[in-house]
Amino acid sequence: MTAATETDRALVDRVAKGDRAAVRLLFMRHHARVYRFVARQTGSEMMADDIANEVFLELWRQAPGFEGRSEVSTWLLGIARFKALSLLRKKKEDWIDDEAAAAVPDGADTPEVVTMKEDKAAALRRLIDALPEEHRTVIDLAYYQGQSVTEIGEVLDIPVATVKTRMFYARKKLGEALKAAGYDRGWP
Amino acid sequence: MSAAEKMSRRDEMETLLPFYLNGSLEGSELEAVEEWLASDPAALAALGEAEAEFSGTSAANEAIRPPADALSRFAKALEAEAGPVRKPAGSSFLAQAWARFMAVPVGVAWAAAAVLLALVMVQSLVQPGGKGKDFEIAGTEDDLAKMPFALVKFKPDAKMSDISAFLGGNGLKIIGGPTADGVFRLGVPAANAADYAKQLGLIAAQPFSETVMEGRKPADGG
Repeated sequence: MTAATETDRALVDRVAKGDRAAVRLLFMRHHARVYRFVARQTGSEMMADDIANEVFLELWRQAPGFEGRSEVSTWLLGIARFKALSLLRKKKEDWIDDEAAAAVPDGADTPEVVTMKEDKAAALRRLIDALPEEHRTVIDLAYYQGQSVTEIGEVLDIPVATVKTRMFYARKKLGEALKAAGYDRGWP
Repeated sequence: MSAAEKMSRRDEMETLLPFYLNGSLEGSELEAVEEWLASDPAALAALGEAEAEFSGTSAANEAIRPPADALSRFAKALEAEAGPVRKPAGSSFLAQAWARFMAVPVGVAWAAAAVLLALVMVQSLVQPGGKGKDFEIAGTEDDLAKMPFALVKFKPDAKMSDISAFLGGNGLKIIGGPTADGVFRLGVPAANAADYAKQLGLIAAQPFSETVMEGRKPADGG
């Protein structure tokens, strides 16, 4: 356990006692990552804004019941994931598809041709974004959020073995897509 | 080891590489990855590819910029959720100043932080119970409600030792502030308007005073 994690927990203890400054400090520390996590989940920064705000209000409400079984960051991402899924199920609005559609290059070039025009780093970034949501999420949680296999399981509410399976297929698909784009990296 | 087993091991190692890179791998899995990296010539290339994914994922996430006013909007939502802040019984002047600092908009919070630091230095000069070595920092709420005051902003380079010596020597008290602009409310122990004007002139003449404005004057102050 790092000192920073202990401080997070100490702050949650303060929040549980009604300390608003503590919840603001936690907001400043974790908001950007929660916001980005939801934005990547939903494809909508508007939804990310609403949900990230709600996550920290939930922290305010639930702090007295926090037992410290997981890291605070994992707990917050789990709340964010639940709220994002709930909202996506509830809304099913066209604008989500519109935003996703707007991010796709026009039909003049096939994805392979587009990729050939990019350098490898840009291609990789675009291909990561193009992964199916369940695969991209484990990539984001591991590489950007720094979560362990067990923590990702907690956030997504799936078994550890499923986390590994998703990571395997996420990286396999990335390798295949890169290979199709002319960047063979020797695996798979 | 058969080709199938070899591929299976490679698959397993490739699956674990992201967790090796983020530092969360431990125990037998960590040992297995380290052993693979040390023994298989293809492993270092694979690690390089995973590092490129790491960079790409970080860049994709960092490109998403949360709104700049997120904290101030959250603060409002929190107030709506939790209700108005209750003034804690016996809370210190410094604690109240901190609470005010945390409530200001994000854009001015850091500017106010410099003033708050100065306030901490003032607070450090006083004894528990509100009485300082040189000056009184605050009285009862009733006293403060009636007390004449001026609004004062100190120069950024003002020395706290100079300010505290001056306040203590003239019976002046900091009774509020700082605002987001760094303005303090200074209690002025003046019995009448003439005395009040004289004391304000004295405050304004000090090298550490940037701005001095009239606040509440004594009862005969008109």
